Amino acid sequence: MKRTRAQSIRLYLGVAAVCGILIFPIYWLFITALSTTLELKSLPPTFWPDPPQWQTFAKVAEERPILLWLANSTIAALGSVVLSMFVSILAGYSLSRFRVRGGNSLGLFILTAKMLPATLLVIPLFSIFRSVGLIGSIWSLIIAHSTLIIPFTTWMLKGYFDTIPKELEQAAMVDGCSPLGAMVRVILPVSAPGLAATSLYAFVLSWADYAYARTFLTNSQNNWTANLGITTMRGEYVTDWNEIAAVSVFVAIPIVIIYLFLERYLVGGLTAGAEK
Amino acid sequence: MANISIRDVHKSYGTENVLKTFSLEIGDGEFVVLVGPSGCGKSTILKIIAGLEPASGGQVYLGDRDVTDSAPGDRDVAMVFQNYALYPHLTVRQNIGFGLKMRGMTAREIERRVIDAARILAVDRYLDRRPKDLSGGQRQRVALGRAIVREPQAFLMDEPLSNLDAKLRVHMRAEIGALHKRIGVTTVYVTHDQTEAMTMADRIVILRDGEIQQIADPDTMFQKPVNLFVAGFIGSPGMNFLRASATEMDGSPAIEILGMKVSCKNRNLGSASKLIAGIRPEHFNVGGGEFSVNLRSTLVESLGSEKYVYFDVGNDLIDRSSDLDEEFSKGLIARIGQQGRLNEGEVIPLSFSLENLYFFDAETEKVIS
Repeated sequence: MKRTRAQSIRLYLGVAAVCGILIFPIYWLFITALSTTLELKSLPPTFWPDPPQWQTFAKVAEERPILLWLANSTIAALGSVVLSMFVSILAGYSLSRFRVRGGNSLGLFILTAKMLPATLLVIPLFSIFRSVGLIGSIWSLIIAHSTLIIPFTTWMLKGYFDTIPKELEQAAMVDGCSPLGAMVRVILPVSAPGLAATSLYAFVLSWADYAYARTFLTNSQNNWTANLGITTMRGEYVTDWNEIAAVSVFVAIPIVIIYLFLERYLVGGLTAGAEK
Repeated sequence: MANISIRDVHKSYGTENVLKTFSLEIGDGEFVVLVGPSGCGKSTILKIIAGLEPASGGQVYLGDRDVTDSAPGDRDVAMVFQNYALYPHLTVRQNIGFGLKMRGMTAREIERRVIDAARILAVDRYLDRRPKDLSGGQRQRVALGRAIVREPQAFLMDEPLSNLDAKLRVHMRAEIGALHKRIGVTTVYVTHDQTEAMTMADRIVILRDGEIQQIADPDTMFQKPVNLFVAGFIGSPGMNFLRASATEMDGSPAIEILGMKVSCKNRNLGSASKLIAGIRPEHFNVGGGEFSVNLRSTLVESLGSEKYVYFDVGNDLIDRSSDLDEEFSKGLIARIGQQGRLNEGEVIPLSFSLENLYFFDAETEKVIS
């Protein structure tokens, strides 16, 4: 059906409004980083600082251990991705391929774990980590994040594996692969878009965490992640919001870069499971 | 190459018996087609031979080797799947060579054999393409290439042509036949298409509900079906089945069929009183003959060189459409060579000969010879 001109205008206005709402916080973060403290407090607000305070970025890079925070966030996020993908690939593949009694219910049960709020698990996790001496260690974060990530990625990967014909691994087995070999040599390469999408989900979830880092790492400054580090920049009497915004821009950059690289996989990965 | 011996194999899922005791000896180089309607167990037996499904009991021998518990890769068989099952992330060259690589062959030997197989199947121009860049027919050839390149003991083919359009299917059917003649590898071919079975097989095995109905060469299968199911399954269009009862005429055995008495002097009608008479559509003629009946046509389908004419004979016709995965029966069908114009609703004189009638026991459904 062809749209009329008026319908097109309404559609584009709607899209522009939604884009505006989504982009405004990012724009405002950037503007805050470039503004002086005085400009931030002025009314009406300044929508483009004059002159832009680019030196704020250099200042925070010099004064704060941003690289250490980013490195810790990266270690925690990559660790969570590796651990959760290892578990959820095997779990998702098993749920997809092996018919066991209660298999479908088990799949749903795993998904319900995702529905629990993250904060609900903080107390038991804290208790467990303290008893095994992991409080203050980056491992506590990797394991805690994995408990949140694995249910959803398992369910998502199961859906993805369901769309791959069983005959592919059967052909590989007839060609001489073991069942595990067929999974590694055929199913995983074919599932690359799904794996990319789930890995990205895992990475972002871990990268964006604050609650677990605050609980498990507060007394271990060397292991602070970027999100935890940012909150320590807030002073009791004075807070330099422009500096916080500048660090936040640094923290957002890796995610933006990863999205740009994985975008073509991401769309395929997110929609493929939806066919079932 | 090797013979395949399947001895008392059965398969059940819980209480459901999908394959009852199945025994079959397949000769070295033989082309055996397993045919039957959906759910008859034909793909299950193929997967048991391949090692992709464990049998609940029985043994499978490949040559002298008992491979019942061997892994699929250790059986030295190659399989062609209905959906080709080509590895989408690999090129045609890598797809064909995958099995050789898994067997630790040198890169040089793999390349030589891949090119040879690709040439045989005329896909050597596409070696660097991925499966998504190939047509259905080309994909099917690559799947065959992946099978022949390994020079296995046996080929297992699971409805390999059913995803192709009708014209290409006929073409590939001939190609597979020619390929088998050329390389002579023992082949087990599964299909639900009786035309494929008839045209390709050295021997046909007809299955129904997990049980072998008959094993025979195509001509025997067509001419001497052992029961009602086989008679209805083989032949296109299928045989008509009419209710009949044994009676007497002038002191000789006879049957009542379509409201008339047919003398069966020289035919054995067995001892059953309730019979089913079978007649193939091509054995009807328009006009006078040994036995004639006037029937009103309900549908005329012209195929150019011949016509399929349908008649409603009410309760006299036994509807076997469910046996053949068909939705419903259109009625008694006659296959008539070009006879000028035949109209729907017209009363047409049909005739047939006694020698073309098959008789089945209505209770056991077995043929009465």
